[in-house]
Amino acid sequence: MQTTKENTDRAIVLAPVGRLDFAAATAFQEALEKAIAEAAAAKLAVIVDCSGLDYLSSAGLRSFLIGARTAQSAGVKLKVCALQKSVGEVFDVSGFSRIMPPVSDRAAALAAL
Amino acid sequence: MQTTLSAEEGNLSAATAFLHGCWESLSLPEELLFPFELALEEVFMNVVMHGGSGHGPSTVWLELERGDGTLSMRLSDNGPAFDPLTLPTPDLDAPIEERAVGGLGVHLVRQMMDGVSYAYCDGRNTLHMWKPL
Repeated sequence: MQTTKENTDRAIVLAPVGRLDFAAATAFQEALEKAIAEAAAAKLAVIVDCSGLDYLSSAGLRSFLIGARTAQSAGVKLKVCALQKSVGEVFDVSGFSRIMPPVSDRAAALAAL
Repeated sequence: MQTTLSAEEGNLSAATAFLHGCWESLSLPEELLFPFELALEEVFMNVVMHGGSGHGPSTVWLELERGDGTLSMRLSDNGPAFDPLTLPTPDLDAPIEERAVGGLGVHLVRQMMDGVSYAYCDGRNTLHMWKPL
């Protein structure tokens, strides 16, 4: 899996592409925590654009949860957007849609900050 | 179709590749691949993390079967007897700071499959999971 990073005026946008499984979870978590630290210093938000993410397991959910906690304690807003159907289903049945409600796309994520 | 693997982290990709091969050989419906792939990762990684013994990693026997109106997957291992279905459902309403980091895997398997059963027989744990075709 690859995660691209893009800095905009208001947010750092991370875009994981491919499979967020057990093998990819640690690297993604590190990328997320690094982006949150950078965002905290620059007073930006973090958006995770999941449009290219086609697989997510509990190991990947754990990365999101740790990221959400890091963001919360750093005072950084974290938004998840553009979930594919199967990934959205994993978010729903795990209750993650309630703790970090996903929005439809980047524009909606920026609007929700 | 079946395969045998050593329960090691590095073999997750081999287990997934086996499943993709089954989908191709048996011309299975695309929309069923994701739930089976997810269930396989969760169960296989549970065996990798918790199923080892002092003698090294367990062995995993993986079988996918297209039955009459049903697609089923059996994952057996020769690790210590353990029924993952006895694990409590995690608290899905807990706030971020109280959410447990583990325990979600088995919950996802139950949610993604239409049926899951556990048996321990002849020194092997077997988890049987199925969905209608």
